[in-house]
Amino acid sequence: MNRSALLSLYRSLTRHRLYAALNIGGLAVGIAVFLVLGLYVRFETSYEKWLPDHDKLYVVEEYWNQPGSPANGYSTGTMGGLIDELREDFPGIVGTRMQVMDANVIRPGSATSEAFGYADPDFLDVVPLPMARGDGRRALRDPSAVLVDETTAGKYYSGVDPIGRTITLAVMGKAANYRIAGVFRDLPKATVQRFSIIARMPSPHPDAMWRHWGSERVMTWLRFDTPADAARLAGQLRGFVDRRGAKDLGDVTKQLSLPVTPVTDLHLQTPGRKLTMTTLGLVGLLTLLIAIVNYVNLATARAGLRAREVAMRKVLGADRGALVRQFLGEAVLTVALAALIGLILAELGLPLVNSAGGLSLVMPYGLVVPALIGLTLIVALIAGLYPAVLLSRFPAAAVLASARSPGGGRAGTRVREALVVFQFALAIAFTVGTTVLVAQTQHVRSTDLGFRRDGLVIVGSTADSALDKAQVASFLQEVRRLPGVRMVTTSDSTPGYSTGNSANVEVPGRSDSGPSLQWITVGPDFFPTFGFRLLAGRLPDAAHRLDDMRNAPKDSDPVNILVNRRAAGLLGFATPMAAVGRTVGNGAPRTIIGVVDDARFFSPRDPVNGTVYYYASGQAQFPRTTLRVEGDPRRMVEQLRAIWRRVAPQVPFSAKTATQDLQDYYKADERAARLFGIGAGLAVLIGCVGLWGLASFNTARRVKEVGIRKTLGASSADIVKLLVGQFLRPVLIANLLAWPLAFVAMRAWLAGFDDRIALSPLYFVGASLLALAIAVLTVLGQSLRASRAAPAWALRHD
Amino acid sequence: MIRLQNIQRRYVSDEVETTALHDIDLHVAEGEFLAIMGPSGCGKSTLLNTLGTVDRPTGGRYLFGDRDLAALDEKALAKFRGQTLGFVFQSFNLIDELTIEENVALGLAYRADAGNRRARVAAAMDKVGIAHRAHHFPHQLSGGQQQRAAIARAIVGDPKLILADEPTGNLDTANGEQVMNILSGLNAEGATIVMVTHSPSHADMAKRRIDMLDGRIVASAMRDI
Repeated sequence: MNRSALLSLYRSLTRHRLYAALNIGGLAVGIAVFLVLGLYVRFETSYEKWLPDHDKLYVVEEYWNQPGSPANGYSTGTMGGLIDELREDFPGIVGTRMQVMDANVIRPGSATSEAFGYADPDFLDVVPLPMARGDGRRALRDPSAVLVDETTAGKYYSGVDPIGRTITLAVMGKAANYRIAGVFRDLPKATVQRFSIIARMPSPHPDAMWRHWGSERVMTWLRFDTPADAARLAGQLRGFVDRRGAKDLGDVTKQLSLPVTPVTDLHLQTPGRKLTMTTLGLVGLLTLLIAIVNYVNLATARAGLRAREVAMRKVLGADRGALVRQFLGEAVLTVALAALIGLILAELGLPLVNSAGGLSLVMPYGLVVPALIGLTLIVALIAGLYPAVLLSRFPAAAVLASARSPGGGRAGTRVREALVVFQFALAIAFTVGTTVLVAQTQHVRSTDLGFRRDGLVIVGSTADSALDKAQVASFLQEVRRLPGVRMVTTSDSTPGYSTGNSANVEVPGRSDSGPSLQWITVGPDFFPTFGFRLLAGRLPDAAHRLDDMRNAPKDSDPVNILVNRRAAGLLGFATPMAAVGRTVGNGAPRTIIGVVDDARFFSPRDPVNGTVYYYASGQAQFPRTTLRVEGDPRRMVEQLRAIWRRVAPQVPFSAKTATQDLQDYYKADERAARLFGIGAGLAVLIGCVGLWGLASFNTARRVKEVGIRKTLGASSADIVKLLVGQFLRPVLIANLLAWPLAFVAMRAWLAGFDDRIALSPLYFVGASLLALAIAVLTVLGQSLRASRAAPAWALRHD
Repeated sequence: MIRLQNIQRRYVSDEVETTALHDIDLHVAEGEFLAIMGPSGCGKSTLLNTLGTVDRPTGGRYLFGDRDLAALDEKALAKFRGQTLGFVFQSFNLIDELTIEENVALGLAYRADAGNRRARVAAAMDKVGIAHRAHHFPHQLSGGQQQRAAIARAIVGDPKLILADEPTGNLDTANGEQVMNILSGLNAEGATIVMVTHSPSHADMAKRRIDMLDGRIVASAMRDI
């Protein structure tokens, strides 16, 4: 580009500041959205990639496919002894395991819960965690040594060297002293399995179910040099499961498989996560595309106005090549400016996005800057080439002789209209998407769960194995006396927390092993405390001996149960009433005394499990305590904490409201909805900016026509109708594209939820009306101004 | 039919005030063909625009028949133009994106009484000899053809007054003659025409001629018949 071309660009930007701002600003915002959502996608796909040799590491998962079973799907937990059996059948296999659980760090007068991992002595040989201090491999061969992460080291040994210090840990209820032998680097956020303390796994392991097929105790890691090696083993595991599993699982073995999954794939395996990531990635990409379309649209529209400059340059000797170079050069400079502003916007917007999405994204400049340079060249080529070729083709003499500027004629207008259609189609689809996302996340927060979620406080720490029965009893006794506590109950599962217990229940007269049902053990007042709805039959009570499972010590002893509506259906009863009084379970007779409505204790994405409720009059084996309280539940938690400190100071206290416990299920979707909303909102904004720019350009082009029409008797209202109508047509056509797009996308997203809203036409109509309103408002101001211009002035204008 | 009394038009821009029309008094009778002449910048077009109500005087009275146009608001004026006036411009002012037929039909677009639209458009195009170009776009026509299309647009609504601003200014002699013959024919059929022109020979085709200088009418003469 020569000096005059640069000057011409500078003048064009500064003389038409508004156009420049719209053009560059729109593209910058598009680039910023693309960058931020690109970082999000990068984060989501980076799980475990921080691990050295991550491409060689695999995890054996359990995949259950039992009709109607609560345990269906993938689980990273396998039975404890799986690696031993694998070694027996496949000599030479390289693998290890870790059992992660909560352990309490005990200090004088207090206890703190930490994520703790029991690992095989060779764990670090297979999974090479980066160490900060000490020799981790040697440490794991010593049963009295532990490794801690940097945060834990700093937390308990601030300002002193932690190596060699003693730490008291209560693991599975047993307290012991360990020597800190090393410090490993904090696990990055992009980690599926989190732990902050590692100790050598006891051998033999005390768990009676250690080699019981179907149990889930440890994460089993394998290491292969090539993906082909992994695939070879995976191909042999079907036979392995059939051969080994039958002793514990019988027929059910067929419904279990053991996929060998690359460790880097685990994170995105969670239902809905991949779809969310893909959707947000697409939003980023499409927002950038909208911004590029805008840029091209405005640039070509404006370019037409520079036809005279081009003609003069041609007359003065510029050839087509020189003109194409000039326009491409201008595009590169303008897009580079937009990219720079976009980078600044993205950096400024990151804290906002991080807080909205619960993320901690940082801008990796080493990656972003080269990517932006590439993006600049590509966008500039797309955006600059069309005007460059179009303009350089104008015949100079005709342009100079003509009073009007060529703007691509009807074809140019059609291209621009098509681009507006494209932009608005995406904007409308995004608006539908955002509305549906928000409506769904609101729905799961407020929907009827089958129990009353407000006013429930759940104390998880009464299930801590470090607690003795007397402590639990004394805590419960004091809690019942607190003013504001209406009811107290215990159960082994509560909202957001499951023991994962399930069993097949045989149905008399059916030859199969019966449906797999979740079972929950509940104490007195469980049903009224939660506010369950009894559909048929009665609730358990002390007057009926068989209601209490304490009176049925053997599995084969008959006992009364309650089931939920879904279990009644799975067991083959047409109505809840039909189930009452019936006995199921061949070897272990269970008589149904009542049917309660389905209560959703877990994710809105999963179907409510068919559930059997066993009643036990005393405390359940691992009783989690639930209180129905009056007043502010958070204040109640503080009162409970005070009691806990007196009764069990050596065990960490944990209590949450039911709403807080359920929060984890909603969090990811709410974050995604917020991120989507931000991205989609900005995309719509860019679309509007583009429409505004195009409308003002078109209106300016039509000033003469407005004059003619007014001279011929058109009123201001006629002119406004004409100009606004011109833009309504593409917006209306955009609906035709947007609706099916949004419908398919949102149906796919909602399909991930068992508890979901209906995809009402109102979302579509609403978004379209909104888009129409925005389009009208965007164009109206300029149309009004144009319509008010005196016709004599308009006719002189050219 | 038209009576202008003490019409003034001042333009104020930044710190400069320009008076385009000084106390113009003018009477145009029904069926008249009036030519306005004068050097560039003397106020001819401003006067014509004032007559056409596309420019508002800053002083004086404009009576059309017995209606005082100063009393009308913008909407009423737009309706008045649509019903009463036809315009012919030097630069034709056809809309580039519309065909000739659509451009001519525009002359009826803003009228309530625009029944039988197709036939009226066809008749107007026929009258000026442009019917064979009905489906062409303006840029596909010669200047003379474009101006004839513009005249068709002006007369399609059967206006009481035709205002022509240098209608032959952009045309060669032959096309200019053709356009003037059409205007004369229309006048002979009863149309009232006010025309601004630089051409003495075209002015001679009018029944009356006024000369302007510096925003004033300095001479008025009837053609010898």
